[in-house]
Amino acid sequence: MERETLEVDVLIVGGGPSGLSAALRLAQLQKQQGGEPLSIAVVEKAREAGAHSLSGALLDPSTLRDLIPDFQAKGAPLAAEVHEDNIYFLTPQKKFRFPVTPPPFENHGNYIISLNQFTKWLAGQVEAEGIDLFMGFAAQHVLYDGHRVIGVRLGDRGIGKDFQPKAAFEPGADIHAKVTIFADGVRGHLTKQLTRQLNLDAESGPAQFAIGIKEVWEIPKDRLKPGTVIHTLGYPLKEEEFGGTWLYAMPEGRISIGLVAGLDYHDPLFDPHAAFQHFKLHPFIKGILEGGQLMRYGAKALPEGGWNTQPKLFVDGGLIVGDAANFVNSMRLKGIHLAMRSGMLAGAAAFDAVRAGDTSAAFLSRYKAAVDESVIKTELYPVRNVHQAFGAGLIAGSAFAGFTMATGGHLLQDLPGHAGHKQMRTLAQYYGLQKRDVITGSNAAPFDRKITFDKVTGAHYSGTHHEEDQPVHLLVQTDVCHSICGDEYGYPCVRFCPANVYEMVDNGTGGKRLQINASNCVHCKTCDIMDPYAVITWVPPEGGDGPQYDGM
Amino acid sequence: MILVVAEQRDGKLNRASWEAIAAAQQLAGGATPIKIAVAGQALSGVTAELSAAAVTEVIAVDDAALGVYTPDGFVQALQQLIASVSPAVVLFAHTYQTRDFSATLASRLDRALVTDVTAIRSVNGATAYARPMFQGKLVADVVPQGPAPHLVTIQIGAFRADAVGKGAAAAPVSAASVTIDTAAIRQKPEAPFQEAKQAVDLSQAERIVSVGRGIKTQENIAVAEQLAKAFGAELAASRPICDNGWLPMERQIGSSGQTVAPKLYVALGISGAIQHLVGMKGSRTIVAINKDADAPIFEVADYGIQGDLFELAPALIAELQKS
Repeated sequence: MERETLEVDVLIVGGGPSGLSAALRLAQLQKQQGGEPLSIAVVEKAREAGAHSLSGALLDPSTLRDLIPDFQAKGAPLAAEVHEDNIYFLTPQKKFRFPVTPPPFENHGNYIISLNQFTKWLAGQVEAEGIDLFMGFAAQHVLYDGHRVIGVRLGDRGIGKDFQPKAAFEPGADIHAKVTIFADGVRGHLTKQLTRQLNLDAESGPAQFAIGIKEVWEIPKDRLKPGTVIHTLGYPLKEEEFGGTWLYAMPEGRISIGLVAGLDYHDPLFDPHAAFQHFKLHPFIKGILEGGQLMRYGAKALPEGGWNTQPKLFVDGGLIVGDAANFVNSMRLKGIHLAMRSGMLAGAAAFDAVRAGDTSAAFLSRYKAAVDESVIKTELYPVRNVHQAFGAGLIAGSAFAGFTMATGGHLLQDLPGHAGHKQMRTLAQYYGLQKRDVITGSNAAPFDRKITFDKVTGAHYSGTHHEEDQPVHLLVQTDVCHSICGDEYGYPCVRFCPANVYEMVDNGTGGKRLQINASNCVHCKTCDIMDPYAVITWVPPEGGDGPQYDGM
Repeated sequence: MILVVAEQRDGKLNRASWEAIAAAQQLAGGATPIKIAVAGQALSGVTAELSAAAVTEVIAVDDAALGVYTPDGFVQALQQLIASVSPAVVLFAHTYQTRDFSATLASRLDRALVTDVTAIRSVNGATAYARPMFQGKLVADVVPQGPAPHLVTIQIGAFRADAVGKGAAAAPVSAASVTIDTAAIRQKPEAPFQEAKQAVDLSQAERIVSVGRGIKTQENIAVAEQLAKAFGAELAASRPICDNGWLPMERQIGSSGQTVAPKLYVALGISGAIQHLVGMKGSRTIVAINKDADAPIFEVADYGIQGDLFELAPALIAELQKS
């Protein structure tokens, strides 16, 4: 089989905020310093820039200001400047306003943005610098020469369900690079391979994640002033569950609404999507949504573990940035500016390395040094134990968070973290022995098709689309599903997946069989993270497939 | 003058062309003359069929180079035709073929193109073309700007083919002379794929019986097949059925399958997930049979029967066989 090979100086895998910032920084350094131009390529699995980007999102513009000082003049799509912060504690029927907004929740000077539009704009800035963006190409494997990363192999196109090449078969190209920057996002499938292969998590705590489920609604224009920010804690999550909700008002009656639930919940029957429906049915929120219309739906996991969960950031020929490196401040609910910052720093390190003709780990370690000197550490180090402390529950965690804020986190020993999927209890542990083989969630929600919608409808509003005749891109050891999972956990994949990818259907002989509706997938990675047996592996489907986020 | 570009293949008219003609007649309101053009080779059968419509003229664009469709050949031919007849608006059915060449044609002509139009109305005195956005959640009224002609493609199923006004006498048929530079045709089409030849084109079916998860087993598909036969209908399915391999993927209706708008759509045991509804809600008459009274399919159905399809389908078959 003929496989094309492309040689570049710097390859960036992933066209999100971190990858695009790295690309732009490289172009800027090129301009400033002149000399032989570097060849730079960005590969991105989404068909269009930003189509797989989803976030709340509140943008702290500090990094943007450094990267693109005239971002306003260049038309950065910032939907609204935050003018009002509200934080509430919810009970099933009531809301209690926090008398003061805790400092991490203060958003004065920040912007409400649609990450996917922001990413699209950022990609435009990168393209204007003459950098090639390969959209709709999924990187499938890391290529090595011994311990050195030498690039990636793109996914083949035109393979049928039966793994046989179809008429339009095209083998994926190999892209070789002197430096490969891994910007493959939360639970990046390449960073995951790389971490295992080169043991990059030997000195970091287990990564921790949450799932964010988001909708965009249009509501009557006068209901919320653009720039209004609402966060809630408490209901519909249980005291033991980490997370909360957001509601951001944009112009023209558009709102971003969503729920974040820690992927370290204990109740095997918990369903994050159902929790989100309960949130929308809370009298406070229902009052805002009523008469409005659902426009968009999506979901994405987010890193929650913080500073102590960053993997080793540099290897021979490779760097890890952004969400792939877990650079999110879960206290401030922000990561875009840190992703961009890490991209800028990695871009600079890659530039120096190519110029110096030394792309060894030893040389590239200057990236880690730069991260340690940067706002990434200043911001993440003091709050490094906060998520871990929430393992002890909301009240204890909140007290810890307060103490951390007061002391700058200096007085405390590091708390051990636990891999989230190991926190899930079995049915027997959580409910006692009487519950077996149940599928319905403990928090099942009604779907009225006005305020609340089922997951299949959600998948539609994500615009997700996959070529149907291709191998299933969720690799599952189904013997586990068909033997012990029902009794032990009651098939939690059916509940934690926000897009109805996993379904247990009648197997025709009185039992159940796992049906994978792979084309519903919104690429959120939750299953790869939360499956208690760790038998689900997310691999990229054919390039260009996946959600079509617009305004998310 | 409004020009409708009809579509044919091997002398067989695409049914959706009639819908574009119906749209043209609505737009004309009896005041503006309408001409129909059709491109290809050996077109006398098609032009005779089209001349039944109440239009001023049917124009055959007949050329050996147009015998097999190529986007470059059709763009050349239609560009010349439009230049010679100077229409104010050019309407097309939004078929796969139209999608293939219309953007190039509009760009060659440097004229506005509005695609996938579902309705035509007057907004503040201007003609506005309604087209869905956000996967049908919103409808935008688009008023094309710039000089005529404006190019407009009509969504399949949005207008009724049987609403076309027929003329008292057959419309005159003329031949347009175009010069095709075959050297400028970059595509060299090969024979259609074997699988494409066999593939059923559900968008052309007048009646469809569609089956969903309620059918339960592969063996039960026979029930739906018999019902389809009794109706003289094509058999189709919702996603899970094709996913299981019980019917081929080409029979799948919905956002990841085909979009259809037959005269009759019978949904057997289909709950009506939105992904399915977007593929069939343009059907003229929808009959739904489902056990679950809350199934969303009943929200779009003209006739809904809550009940067991295994009781109801045989009863329907028996009744149909009587008549």
